[in-house]
Amino acid sequence: MFDVLIHQFWSLTIAGVALGFIYVLISLGYTMVYGVLRMINFANSEIFMWGTFGTVITNRDLFNYTQTSEPAKGWKLALVLITALLMSMFVAALTAVFVELVAYRRLRMKGTNRLATLISAIGISIALQEVMRLLTSSRPVGSPRILEKIILTEIWGANVRLDTVITIIAAAIIYFILERFIKLSRMGKAIRAVSQNEDAAKLMGVNLNRVITTTFLVGGLATGAAAFFYITVFEYTKFNIGFTMGMAAFTAAVLGGIGNIRGAFFGGLSLGLLEVYASAVLGTQWKAVTVFVVLVLVLLFKPNGLFGEAVQQTRA
Amino acid sequence: MNIKIQRSLAVVSAAALVFGVASASTAQAAKHKAKVVYIAYQGPLSGGEASTGIDEQNAVKYAVKLFNARSENKKKFNVKVVSVDDQGDPAVASTVAPGIGANKNVLGVVGPAYSGATIASLPYYKAGGLVLISPSATRVSLTDPTSPDFGGPVFHRVVGKDDLQGPALAKYATQGVSSAKVFVFDDQSAYAVPLRGYVEAGLKKVAGASVVGGDSVPNTTTDFSPTIAKIKTSGATVVIYTGYYSQAAVFIKQLRDSGSTAIFAGGDGVFNQEFPKLAGAAAEGSRITGVGGLAGISKKLEADFKKQMGVSSGVYSVESFDAANILLEGIKKGNTTRAKMLKFVKSYKGKSVSGNKIVFDKNGDISYGLFAGFTSKGGVLVNTGIVK
Repeated sequence: MFDVLIHQFWSLTIAGVALGFIYVLISLGYTMVYGVLRMINFANSEIFMWGTFGTVITNRDLFNYTQTSEPAKGWKLALVLITALLMSMFVAALTAVFVELVAYRRLRMKGTNRLATLISAIGISIALQEVMRLLTSSRPVGSPRILEKIILTEIWGANVRLDTVITIIAAAIIYFILERFIKLSRMGKAIRAVSQNEDAAKLMGVNLNRVITTTFLVGGLATGAAAFFYITVFEYTKFNIGFTMGMAAFTAAVLGGIGNIRGAFFGGLSLGLLEVYASAVLGTQWKAVTVFVVLVLVLLFKPNGLFGEAVQQTRA
Repeated sequence: MNIKIQRSLAVVSAAALVFGVASASTAQAAKHKAKVVYIAYQGPLSGGEASTGIDEQNAVKYAVKLFNARSENKKKFNVKVVSVDDQGDPAVASTVAPGIGANKNVLGVVGPAYSGATIASLPYYKAGGLVLISPSATRVSLTDPTSPDFGGPVFHRVVGKDDLQGPALAKYATQGVSSAKVFVFDDQSAYAVPLRGYVEAGLKKVAGASVVGGDSVPNTTTDFSPTIAKIKTSGATVVIYTGYYSQAAVFIKQLRDSGSTAIFAGGDGVFNQEFPKLAGAAAEGSRITGVGGLAGISKKLEADFKKQMGVSSGVYSVESFDAANILLEGIKKGNTTRAKMLKFVKSYKGKSVSGNKIVFDKNGDISYGLFAGFTSKGGVLVNTGIVK
């Protein structure tokens, strides 16, 4: 039972960390919105899915790579990768702002209750998914290989591949930039102020609409970056991939403590590793079961998640 | 053609008026006018699975075209095909089946194409006593009298069940591999889990082959690293996946990137030209069992098909052609009520265009399964002939 884990421990760990970082970036999309609005952005999974198409379109249509063409090299490689990353972030951020505008803003202005917004978010997520289903005729879409998956080195018998290394390093950098932005920038301060007390922040002259739009934008940027790494590693997308990834990232956010940016970081990483180890030891059919058993256990002892917001900060 | 019939009708009735024998005129008209008879095709004609349904329906239409054009049928029958689009989806099937079930003009159905849609349609067809001959519903439970999905007495199929495909896949995957160590995994779907069981049973009969491991991976998975870790630990030389092509493409890329050179094989779920397109170079050499199409049976027939229908024959064309021919034979023998047609199909003895004998057992199955082996070469799946 454990021999797979023992033999392949380091390969599994590297794969788990790479997957974990993708989760971290998507769960930022959930956690940021929750932090500010105290609402789950159910459309974040579809924002991710739309983001993946940003990279596919860049690779396939903008730079004309095909399934059979050689991977890019040198400067061209850097150019394509960075364009694809920016494109995915752009598409996802645009989708996120659109979601806020359509599903949240008007209802918020009218002062409807939270449940109505919840339903409208689910509604727009279905609409986003169906539009993509129709655009792609329900077919899976492959992305051409841009980054050759070179094995860089071997650590304790595990292959360290270029795409995993890039994913881990770049995702970590993007995470820290976002974290600093929230911590140090003026806008970041405003976001935190709204998160702590909406009315007080408004009285202090914070433009609520701008803060909320920025929150969706930043969440969308993080989710879009995740979409880029996802395509770079897995080279595949479909109209319905958002659900699985979104569910996992949402779980990661709750595990780490939703509303908390550091929580998303640790939640995402632990979920990535937990999924990989559980699949290897118990069989992949037990992956989801293990994840949710652990989640329940964590919530039993730490109801706000591992790094959950302090009780005095929570509202209602 | 229609205009001709109308014209001759007009002439006949005019003549009848002249001679003042109105009662005789109808009898005379019936003699000259071919009887319009309906059969239906049911399968996915729109949506994500549409290509399968369109391929099958083309083969049905081809069979009908040949039948209507034959001189001995020309004056007697004019067979028309009713298209029933269930999108391959049980939920859609249960909304379209009641109409066909109740329309007594439809004498028989080629289809439904998919097992899930078949199960959803069955209650209406059983109630209507409408005979079904499916070209592609392979789920074993459909012809298992102890199962709630049992389709008798109306359900028949001219395709091999998954318990015939399993051994064929096991054989094809391990061909030319001495003492094959096989790793088998499924995608947890109602199609893949039983098929995995039949593959494992089939492997027991392959000399020297052994099952060294397995896994069951949800069909939403994109990260296969745990499964690949298991494959590597097990030392497998052959990996068989019983799920569908989109997942298989993601998996095979990751397997090759991990440095493994094990042979990859899959069943008819992976059998789709999209598979090598999605997986690129990683798909090269993959072994897949599927259905061959008319081209694998007769080049002459395929050429005629292309001439008549304007497109090449596609998936399950042999099976759909056979199924349609059984119903057409019934019509030719004058079985123009549902009850007669059902009885005719039940006792049918004939030959498939593939040369196999078609006789249905009491549960609606035939005794053979035609599974062709395909291998991925240069981005396309190439037919290597029927797996024997």
